[in-house]
Amino acid sequence: MTNHFYTPISRPEGHQPEAMTGSNEYKLNQGPEDGISAVKFSPSTAQFLLVSSWDCTVRLFDVTANTMRMKYQHTAPVLDCAFYDPTHSWSGGLDAQLKTHDLNTDQDTIVGTHDAAIRCVEYCPEVNVMVTGSWDRSVRLWDPRTPCNAGTFTQPEKVYTLSVAGDRLIVGTAGRRVLVWDLRNMGYVQQRRESSLKYQTRCIRAFPNKQGYVLSSIEGRVAVEYLDPSQEVQKKKYAFKCHRLKEEGIEFVYPVNAISFHSIHNTFATGGSDGFVNIWDPFNKKRLCQFHRYPTSIASLAFNNDGTMLAIASSYMHERGDISHPEDAIFIRQVTDAETKPKST
Amino acid sequence: MAEGGDMEWELSKENIQPLRRGRAISALHEALSLQQDGLSSAINQQRQAFESELRMYDGDDPLDVWDRYIKWTEQTFPQGGKESNLATLLERAVTRFTEEKKYHDDPRYVDLWIKFAENCPEPLDIFRYMQAQGIGVTQASLYIAWSEEYENQGNCRKADLVYQEGFKKCAEPHDKLLQFHKALQARVSRQVMMNVEEDSDDEPKQPERVSLAELKHRGKKKAIAPINRTGSAIRSISGGMQSHGAPVLGNASNSRLVVFDENKTQSAGPSEPKLEAWAAPPTSRAKENERNPEKWCGVKVPQKSKFGHTVMAPPPPKPTFQPFVEESDQPPTMTPCKINPAVNTVLSARKPHREETPLKRLQEHHQQQKEAESGKLQEQSMYCKELLLSGATEFCFEELRAERYFKKVTPEVRGQMDQACASASN
Repeated sequence: MTNHFYTPISRPEGHQPEAMTGSNEYKLNQGPEDGISAVKFSPSTAQFLLVSSWDCTVRLFDVTANTMRMKYQHTAPVLDCAFYDPTHSWSGGLDAQLKTHDLNTDQDTIVGTHDAAIRCVEYCPEVNVMVTGSWDRSVRLWDPRTPCNAGTFTQPEKVYTLSVAGDRLIVGTAGRRVLVWDLRNMGYVQQRRESSLKYQTRCIRAFPNKQGYVLSSIEGRVAVEYLDPSQEVQKKKYAFKCHRLKEEGIEFVYPVNAISFHSIHNTFATGGSDGFVNIWDPFNKKRLCQFHRYPTSIASLAFNNDGTMLAIASSYMHERGDISHPEDAIFIRQVTDAETKPKST
Repeated sequence: MAEGGDMEWELSKENIQPLRRGRAISALHEALSLQQDGLSSAINQQRQAFESELRMYDGDDPLDVWDRYIKWTEQTFPQGGKESNLATLLERAVTRFTEEKKYHDDPRYVDLWIKFAENCPEPLDIFRYMQAQGIGVTQASLYIAWSEEYENQGNCRKADLVYQEGFKKCAEPHDKLLQFHKALQARVSRQVMMNVEEDSDDEPKQPERVSLAELKHRGKKKAIAPINRTGSAIRSISGGMQSHGAPVLGNASNSRLVVFDENKTQSAGPSEPKLEAWAAPPTSRAKENERNPEKWCGVKVPQKSKFGHTVMAPPPPKPTFQPFVEESDQPPTMTPCKINPAVNTVLSARKPHREETPLKRLQEHHQQQKEAESGKLQEQSMYCKELLLSGATEFCFEELRAERYFKKVTPEVRGQMDQACASASN
């Protein structure tokens, strides 16, 4: 049996997580030195968080102890990372290399490369395959056991985001296109769609119940879509405005950069460049809550496996050019059922 | 150049769009060989490089990048088409610099405008717009292109007037303008000598489709013919200089009334079967199997009578006999389809097509800029929208940031990285 605890745990006696804006939230120590591109919780425990960054590193945090456990390097900024199992992380970025890292032995392996930067890395447990999407207009599958390439699939445009729903893969590309693939049969595209939002797609995340996905755009809008193409199911899809601030008669519209689903309730959190995090109930079309404003843009969000914690990466994404900005930071927030559970009415 | 290479381009001649300035044969060879296996990654990489250059350029001649990018696109996509994005690029390029007075008489900029006009359904409108905005009014090339357009529509008088306008504005180079004007005069006089009937004076002929002519299709949907014909597609049809074999149909306003003489026709050939008497009815102007989208949701079916029954078409009568069907006659089998197309239409979120011409968009853009200046805007996007949507394809924040990152990184680090890439891919 593999050791699930990476390195021996030596939790400092009496160490209390740094309080921030109340007892239910704290900031992680030893965070990345440059922009944060992704935060991902371990699939099995709420203790470990993987963080990829523009400082060319991937870090593993022990969230409970609020310490960094491990860090490994890429040759260029890292754009995404994912857990394969609790002891292996996969990551890729501007160097176009896909790396896997053994978190027990601290060993690197380069699995393969894309022709351009790797934008997304995901794991599909149903089919047991790693999926990467790149600006070279392709999606590649990787067998995590060998590990080796298991196929390259050309997309019509640069891949900006992707998400796995059961054995289906939802790919969002430039030009507002959405493609739905069947990971068990990659011979052809199952569905070709156009985003129902008018502007660039920022993020797509699938419902944990695998029935649909949520898509966010660069101009303050979120769409809830369903995979079933039948007419009556498609009727249920909708979109709404969010992450907009009104000041003196002018409405400031912010990109919606991050989405994360609550694995049990099928509710989801969105994070925008306005620095706000909202939690939504897609069934009653209601906002469940909004947290306080974070120092800068929300770059990534992640609920843990049982939905009791939310990792919030507040990190400027250069959406308004290379200007001075607040420090990049990761906040861990305890969330309650009142904030995440749909109101039964 | 090798013999085999020459052959190669000869074979795909019909896929090469003519360019005003011709094509470099080496670029043509390269483009044709690259495109044999689809849109190659090399082309994509070059395009990406141009796209990022457009966005990262911080010198004082941003037009240069656009100019090079568009020229590269023309050479790389000899068959034109949607993949080349040429129309989008031209439109973005000309819109981008409308406010920059320093480019208004730049030959490169004027050339872009002319190319843009040639890609539009109504080039004359664009030329008029250019004149109104003062773009290229001192450039001979504008008047030459404009005049040629009139000439193609068979309006030689206007074509000549355009040259007069050019002379009035002292357009440069003067020699070139003079030379082209003389050529026009020569063509017109030759035409008069040959006594070709010239029936349209001021009004340009409407572009029309010739029956049985070949139609180009755009994109993947092979069945759909484009409704708007541009550039050479029209010219070949309504070119005023060529003498038409058949008279142009439907120009009712211009055709003289022909009095039917019974005796004449009968004497001409009474024994001939009069099959061609069923000439097509005159088509109404500007309407060509195009139907404007209209609102359906509010429309009510008129109720016929107060008894509540509407007049309906009677159901087809059932034949009283059994139609004979050959036993071997199977109904045509459908090609297997991956997705049920009836269901799949639900997924397309495309809104009903709005009637929109490039010129309209230009004017809208102009209007928006004015509004933005006067601070009337209700909404403000909190990101660098201009940068993301600059070229023919969009960029995301991360791509822009990556460009900035690579600019900062020293070449040696980049070299190391390339090495690492190479070793990994081996």
